[in-house]
Order: sequence, then C-alpha cells, then structure tokens
Amino acid sequence: MTKLVEIKKLSVDFDGFKAVDDVDLTVDAGKVVGIVGESGSGKSVTQLALMGLIPYPGIIEAERLMFNGNDLLKMQDKRRRQITGKDVSMIFQEPMTSLNPCFTVEYQISEALKIHEGGTRQQRRDRVIELLSQVGIPVPEDRLKSFPHQLSGGMCQRVMIAMAIACNPSLLVADEPTTALDVTIQAQILELLVDLQKKNNMALILITHDMAVIAETVEDVVVMYAGQVVEKNSAQNIFTSPSHPYTHALLNALPERNVQARRLPTIPGIVPGKYNRPKGCLFHPRCSFVQEICKKEIPAYTRKDKMAVRCHFPLVNYPS
Amino acid sequence: MIQFLAKRFLQIFPAFIGITLLTFSLVHLIPGDPVELLAGERGIDPARHEQMKKAMGLDKPLAVQYLQYITNVFKGDLGKSFVTKKPVLKEFMTLFPATLELSFCAMIFAVLFGLPAGVIAGVKRGTVFDHSVMTVSLTGYSMPIFWWGLLLILFFSVNLGWTPVSGRLSALYWIDADTGFMLIDAFRSDEQGAFKSALSHLILPSIVLGTIPLAVIARMTRSSMLEVLQEDYVRTARAKGLSPARVIMIHALRNALIPVITVIGLQVGVLLAGAILTETIFAWPGVGKWIVESINRRDYPVVQGGILIISSLIIFVNLLVDILYGIVNPRISRA
Repeated sequence: MTKLVEIKKLSVDFDGFKAVDDVDLTVDAGKVVGIVGESGSGKSVTQLALMGLIPYPGIIEAERLMFNGNDLLKMQDKRRRQITGKDVSMIFQEPMTSLNPCFTVEYQISEALKIHEGGTRQQRRDRVIELLSQVGIPVPEDRLKSFPHQLSGGMCQRVMIAMAIACNPSLLVADEPTTALDVTIQAQILELLVDLQKKNNMALILITHDMAVIAETVEDVVVMYAGQVVEKNSAQNIFTSPSHPYTHALLNALPERNVQARRLPTIPGIVPGKYNRPKGCLFHPRCSFVQEICKKEIPAYTRKDKMAVRCHFPLVNYPS
Repeated sequence: MIQFLAKRFLQIFPAFIGITLLTFSLVHLIPGDPVELLAGERGIDPARHEQMKKAMGLDKPLAVQYLQYITNVFKGDLGKSFVTKKPVLKEFMTLFPATLELSFCAMIFAVLFGLPAGVIAGVKRGTVFDHSVMTVSLTGYSMPIFWWGLLLILFFSVNLGWTPVSGRLSALYWIDADTGFMLIDAFRSDEQGAFKSALSHLILPSIVLGTIPLAVIARMTRSSMLEVLQEDYVRTARAKGLSPARVIMIHALRNALIPVITVIGLQVGVLLAGAILTETIFAWPGVGKWIVESINRRDYPVVQGGILIISSLIIFVNLLVDILYGIVNPRISRA
C-alpha cells in the first residue's frame, strides 16, 4: 500500500508555544484515519500544517513532510498551491462561516475547478450540478445561485464537501465536520463522507472528539494530547485494549460506558498551555498511573507491530 | 430588491421634511434683518421698511411663512434671492458644477490612495508601511483644512511655483461654460493649454479637500481588512489553493468593502462641508462660498434653498450607497 501522507517530527511553533510537538503521522492511500483528542491538543494545527495554512506567526519545522511522493517542505509556494485544493482538500468545523457570504454557491465551487482544471463555463456548471447532487442536495440547479446565508448549516457543509471533492482529491481532511450540526444531520454528513471516500477511493483524515464517530467510521486512530501523538492503533484495539493511560481515561469518560454510574468519570485538570507545560511526560499531572520517571523523562514514541505509543508504562490488556 | 428600494424611498420623505423645518427655523433664529442689511449704513424709513418686508413675505407669522415656503418647494420653487433677485435654483445650478467638480476630484483622490493604502496596511500589518500609513492618515485627519490648504499653497504655489494659487482657470483663457465643469469645457474648447491650466488649478484644492476622507477611508479599510482576513472563509479560499492575490482581492476585499462603502457615502457630507473652507481658501467659485456669503447677508431663501439642495444630495448619495451595499452584500437585499 502506498504512503500518501508521511509526516515525521513535525512541530508548529506559535511565539514559543508548541501547538504541535514532534508528531509522526502516516496515511495510506484510500484509508480512513481518525484523530482524536481534547480541544487544544493540536489536531487541527497538524492538518493545517499539511495544507500549508498555518496562520501568522506559526513556524513549521519537520524532518519529513511528504504528500504523494512530493516533499512539501522544499516545494515552492506556487507549486504547493497546485496541490492544495486539488489533491488534498479540507473541510472545516463551522460550515456557515467557512463559505464566503458574498458569493454564490456556484461561484465558490466552480472557482476551485477553474483554478485547477480549467474548462469552459458550461463544463464547470455541469460539474457543479453533478457535485451538488453527489453530496445530496435536492434540485441542485435551483441552488446554484443561492448565497450561503440562504442555506442551513447541514446544506452549507454539503456545499463545502462538494467544493472539497470537486477536483477528485486523493486526500480529504475533515476537521470536526459535524461539531456545529445537530445530531440527525451529523449522522447524514458522516455517512456522506464515508460514502464518498469509498466511491472515490480517497483517503480521509477525520478529526473529531466524538468517540462514537471513531468507532463507526475509522480504520486507524491517532490519539493526540498537548500537541503530541500519544497513541496510534487500529479502531478495534483502541476500544478493546487501549495502551496509553490517556486513551484509557478518554474511553472511561464516555457516557455509553457509564450507564449505571451516578457520576461520569472525568480526567482531572486541563490540557497544559504555554506557561504550565510540565517536564517529562506531558500527561503525567493528570495520569492515574504516574510514576517517578514520568515526571522527569519524556517517553519515546515507540512502535510495536501496527501500533505505537508514547508512554513509559503502556497498559497491556488493561480492562477498560 | 424592488421592495427594498420602495421602502428606502419612502424613508426619504420624513428626512426631507425634517431638513426644511430645521433650516427654516435655524435661519430665522439668526439675529439680524435682511432689509436693514440691504439698506446699508444709512438706515431706512420705517414705512419703506415695512413695505420691503411685506414684499419679501416676512411680515406674516413664521408658521404661515413656513407653510408657504414648503408648498412652493414642492412646486419646485425655492424662491428668489433677496440680494440678486434671481431664482435660488438657477444660481445654485450655475455654481454647483464647480463644487461638484472639486468634490468629485477630491473623492477620486481619496479613494485612489486611501483604499490601496488601507488594503496593503491591513495585509502587511505591523510593518513599517502599516505604521507609516496609519501615522500619516492620523496627521491628515487631525490637520485643520484651512491651515493645510495654506501650507500647500505656500510650498507648492509660492515657493516651488508648480501650481496656481487660486481660482479655476488662468486669466489667459476664456472658456464658455457649456457644462459648468471646467475640465470638460476646457477639454472641448479650442484654447491651447486650457485643459492643463484647469487641471493644475484643481490639484491642490482636491488634495486639501480629499485629505480627511482619504484618512478615514484608509483607516477603515485597514481595520475592516484585518477583521476579514481572520474569517473562516478566507481560510477556505486559501485551502482551495487560490493565490494570495486572489484571496485578498476577491474573497477578502469584497467583504471588507461593505463598511468602507458606508464610510465613503458618509464622507460625501464631510466633503460638502469641507468645500466651504476649501472654496474660501482657493477662491473657488462654488456653492460653499455662496452659502457662507448669503448667511452674512441674511439672504434667507438662498441659505434655506442651498442647504436643502445639498442635504437632499447627501440623502440621495446615501440612498445610492444603500443600493450599492445591497449589491456588494447579498445578505441585505435578499434577506
């Protein structure tokens, strides 16, 4: 299987704060990878770095940042823009504000086509209609001239998806695509994404903090904490035998697993910020299995078979 | 869109009535008697005084005078000047092209320099360019118009001799006022060099009059641009692989323009107010100078009529801005 994305030792620095710290990530062509973690754990920033969308004053450093055999680090901006939006595209958390309020749906979708594929106006219009019907928008011809404020949140996200898949990308990054939508629409959008992923055989990176979404849709899971990848595992193994104490704690906090309990277990504390970054393992202040060494030494990211974990004492078959 | 326009047109009438009421009462509040001012220092016989007041319609109660005035206004009659005995509207029409020409050039100057300066300052925020644009525009905004005008005249006209000191055209030329716009008339005439002369007379007044709008437009564009560049849809545009120029000029600027257009519309009022000072400094034969002189002569019909026409113009420009606003921002016209 070909490696589509290969990231090694990626760091993103915002004015001395490491939003992403030493992250390794590989995505194979046609695979679905989920990234989970609390808010502020660097999930989105990792993907923005891959897209080349890190806002000022972020600084990207990496040993390797490859996409489809192209070295993104050495690439010139112009060449890189030919990949962004064509071979790799992204949809965002807030569909309502992610579409430009001043332009019609047709304009915004066909703009991506125009930049990357050209073609006549009529060809582009036909393709936009085809895309809109692909993402499940009824009577797409009538929607061409709509403005984003005339559409519902779910509709906007469908338009965003249509825009993202317009040039048949080999990778789609979905950054919490369902967070701003209500539950019934969430399920529809996820179904649509997985459907498109299978049909177009594209890879999908799904960023979420919804474990149920992970269980349903994803093959591989990457768990991030405070800018680091703490565990990578198959979706099955994550739920049955998590290796990192953080993964374990996350799963324990699921309401579905605590139907009998009077109180929902939580992870005490919050993700460390710029000024309270601990020494040693970043998770140790909140870890229930903490030992002396955890407070001093940063654990290495070690691989075993198909999984990897960053912990001095990974859990083995610990009942979750 | 039609409904939006109709609603907007209906809103004009209360504003219009308010303006006439306000100018009418303010003008009559100014102490002084037009008849005495006309008579001059020798004084006037009381009987003749009464007779002249009656001829001017000033003997009736104010409310009656106002009703008469407003009825005439709706008939299209703004009255006659007490001093020249010519219809106000006619006098206004001969003077207005000069003011319009000046204001138009000042606005072009302000937009041409203010908008790009604001956009670049916003995109390159925190750089030397950003700081200098903001400093210069703050200075320009704070500078009193008459002082700024005199400084420019002193430097460019007197010291360097690059531009003429005042007026609209060199005395060497005689141009028939076909349109009243000196640039157009001079361009169409056979006189060699007249156009150049008209243009050089326009430069300094336009800069002086356009300075405040320029500063306001530059600052507004910058802050609006800064805000818009943070928006999610700008990130989406970049995620599509668009070039930075396209992201800024199409996706960001279109949204950033919405508040800027409002400000430009409001600046039209500032321009006409500023024209009074600028016209006085540069001896520009326009409406501003005319109204100031008429106030001194207590020429009620001219002051009322002049202010009424100018206010109506400002209302009209703001209506245009609202329409333009609806075109730029689809959320307004269709919501």
